[in-house]
Amino acid sequence: MTELILQALYSGILAGSSYALIALGLALVFGTMRIINLAHGEMVLVAAYMAYTLENAYGWNPLTAIPLAVIVACMLSVIVNFLVGRIRHDRELNSLILTFGLGIMLTNVSLMIWKADIRSTKSAWLQDAISFGSLYSMKSELLFFGVSLVLVGAVAWWLRASWYGRAVRAVSSNREAAKLMGINPQRTELVSFLVAGMLAGFAGVALYCNSVIQPSLGGALTVKAFIITVLAGMGSIVGVLIGALLIGIAEALTTTLASSALQDLTGMVLFLLVLFVMPNGLFGTKQHD
Amino acid sequence: MLKLEAVTVRFGGLTAVNRVSLEVPPAGILGLVGPNGAGKTTLFNAVSGLVKPRSGSIQFGGHDISRWPQHRRARAGLGRTFQIPQPLAQLTVHENLVVAQRFGAGAVDEQKLDEILQLVGLAAKAHRDAATALSLSELKALEVAKALATRPQLLLLDEVLAGMESDSKRAFREMLQNVHERFRVGLLIIEHDIETISALCPRVVVLNFGEVIADGEPDAVFRDPRVIESYTGAVPA
Amino acid sequence: MTRRTLATGMLLVALYVGVPLLFGGDLYLMSNIVAALTIAGIALSWALLGNLGGMVSFGHAAFVGVGAYVSALCVMKLGVPVFAAIALGGIGAAMASILIAPALRLRGPYFALAILAYAHIFKIVATEWKSLTNGSGGLSSIPRFPQWLGFDFGSKTGSYFIVLSLVLAFAAIYNLVRRSHYGLALRAMHDSEAATRVVGVNSLLLKGWMLLLSAFMAGVMGAFNAHYINFLEPDYAFGAPWTTLPIVAAIFGGYRTIIGPVIGALVVYLVDQLIFKSLIPSGHQVILGALLIGMILWSPGGMLPPLTRFFNRRAHAEA
Repeated sequence: MTELILQALYSGILAGSSYALIALGLALVFGTMRIINLAHGEMVLVAAYMAYTLENAYGWNPLTAIPLAVIVACMLSVIVNFLVGRIRHDRELNSLILTFGLGIMLTNVSLMIWKADIRSTKSAWLQDAISFGSLYSMKSELLFFGVSLVLVGAVAWWLRASWYGRAVRAVSSNREAAKLMGINPQRTELVSFLVAGMLAGFAGVALYCNSVIQPSLGGALTVKAFIITVLAGMGSIVGVLIGALLIGIAEALTTTLASSALQDLTGMVLFLLVLFVMPNGLFGTKQHD
Repeated sequence: MLKLEAVTVRFGGLTAVNRVSLEVPPAGILGLVGPNGAGKTTLFNAVSGLVKPRSGSIQFGGHDISRWPQHRRARAGLGRTFQIPQPLAQLTVHENLVVAQRFGAGAVDEQKLDEILQLVGLAAKAHRDAATALSLSELKALEVAKALATRPQLLLLDEVLAGMESDSKRAFREMLQNVHERFRVGLLIIEHDIETISALCPRVVVLNFGEVIADGEPDAVFRDPRVIESYTGAVPA
Repeated sequence: MTRRTLATGMLLVALYVGVPLLFGGDLYLMSNIVAALTIAGIALSWALLGNLGGMVSFGHAAFVGVGAYVSALCVMKLGVPVFAAIALGGIGAAMASILIAPALRLRGPYFALAILAYAHIFKIVATEWKSLTNGSGGLSSIPRFPQWLGFDFGSKTGSYFIVLSLVLAFAAIYNLVRRSHYGLALRAMHDSEAATRVVGVNSLLLKGWMLLLSAFMAGVMGAFNAHYINFLEPDYAFGAPWTTLPIVAAIFGGYRTIIGPVIGALVVYLVDQLIFKSLIPSGHQVILGALLIGMILWSPGGMLPPLTRFFNRRAHAEA
């Protein structure tokens, strides 16, 4: 039993690290633009399908799809950024509906191109088991765990140290003040969208290598990313990482102790519990006029 | 009627209101003055429920209301105006009052509404759009009318005269006097205009840096060197 | 006033007599009209929550699904008469909405995402609670509408009468609420929530009522649909289209009006089913997504207001 639980913890941490990539992109865009990109999960999914396409059509290793996945996800990011920027009234709510519509489009385009079937990698090398003592994982899981840590670390460093990163932080905390300091908010938003796209590209390939994909999965990914952002509390990268690992572990434990069908339920119940127990706590929606 | 005891409000590390105690007797009038940033509006927000005090008690009509939600305080007889007028947008002036009366006082009484509209001088614009068709002083009058429609026992007036010409100020002051007498409603008034305060308020409390620095009759208070100092910007020793 | 009464009367005659007489023989068209009206009912419930409650819901599928399952199970396991069960389906959905009530205090995007997550939960629960719902195997032979006073409500035309009456009733209820004092307060809360609360409006409670009412309506439509198509499975009953189609319909028609979502549903659904679906069999909803984006960018208030303005201007120009 202990061994099973240890294994679940291990798998959960590995899976959670990829969730962090998805959630971080969502949180970054939310931070700078105050909008939730409801098509974020679909973007990740489209990136995943790039890996599928290269593997399926040319027999390439899915890892070689990373550049293409990143480029495609960044292009989608730029499109979202452009469309949202053109909303004239009530951007907060209308951007939700707009990105929701974009999500519908991406899902249905995926359905047309790649059909409704469930896809996963055929690469034996990626799926090979690798063990530490009694803990097992696939090679790809361990690989993307490392990639995720490096990327999250890089983004954290970028936000802290680089000029654009600081501009992103400035726009997040006070858009008007940032403008006065000579920061172009539009440019900054675009940059945060691009970073989100880059992360989504990696996350997509990780998703394809580590598990299975299907066009209808996008919505659930967005929800998962949002749940992590909420658990984390806004504006904390370490929080996003911890929240993501938490969800990963909770899901893995549910699979081990109950059933894999209930896996998605865990995160959502956790999320609703947070809503019940700390209605204001994690969000800081209390408003002063 | 309203009794604050050692009310403290903090925003993060900033103490906006520090152990403030004051009392407004039933149907009494109290002035609340102090330089910008002294914590006057924050105190109003604490009383009307927009911010939660860190500590201290707020009693109204014999109840401790410090944990009541905003709407319950309004129904209990606490009316307030906002410094920056906040008309109920998308509604006409008349509908503004209907909402306030229906939900604040319990039932709509058209006769009473007409009386209020006459009193504050908005009868002619009753069916105009509240958010777009009113001048600044009319918006301020609407603030008062809305609060009155909830049938308050105490009105918190947050700088209702600010930004007005001296003629309108005088008229507005008279209107407030009328309101006070006609509806036997207590007034707690934030105001910078010393003339207004002196004319309306038998008693004044002065706040500075979130603390009460003086309390008494207007003439005496405005001669207090500490009060003068706080207004001239010197840091109190 | 009398002219208006006359127009309303003529419209009712056209809907209740004209449509069945004209199209009653075309079963394919009738079934599409019934489905479009089902979407119209859900779109109305969505618009009520959005317009009066100020909340964008991405989880209406949950209410539709709960209503469908509650009603079907009430009839199949407890022997409740079908029409009573439909009301129970609505009540069940309203009860379900209480679970999401804590999210009411969240603003804009938080509420939207919370209700999206919530809809996912319901789908999973319906799939996994096999003893009650038969899981993904689904429920088949759900009893249809009965014969009553010699008229078969289970026929296409009978179902049309039922769903039409439901949609009209919803529109009437919506209109009543909107014109009531509650409607005034809800409208005021939109732009000035703090100011509305300090005059004594319990904004959270009012929003809660709107959520409850909206969930009830969506649940009733789900229940109607369960007895109309006689089959349910979780992927269908809680499926994304129950959220997507009403949103597209309401936004297209204009979600701040009452007639908008209904017209929007009829246009969007019928065009989607009769035209797009035959052009693009798999993934035809891509057009709905594009439509949604276009509407938000160019006419977030819906097609109806600009069209009315256009025709009014034409009328004025000609006069």
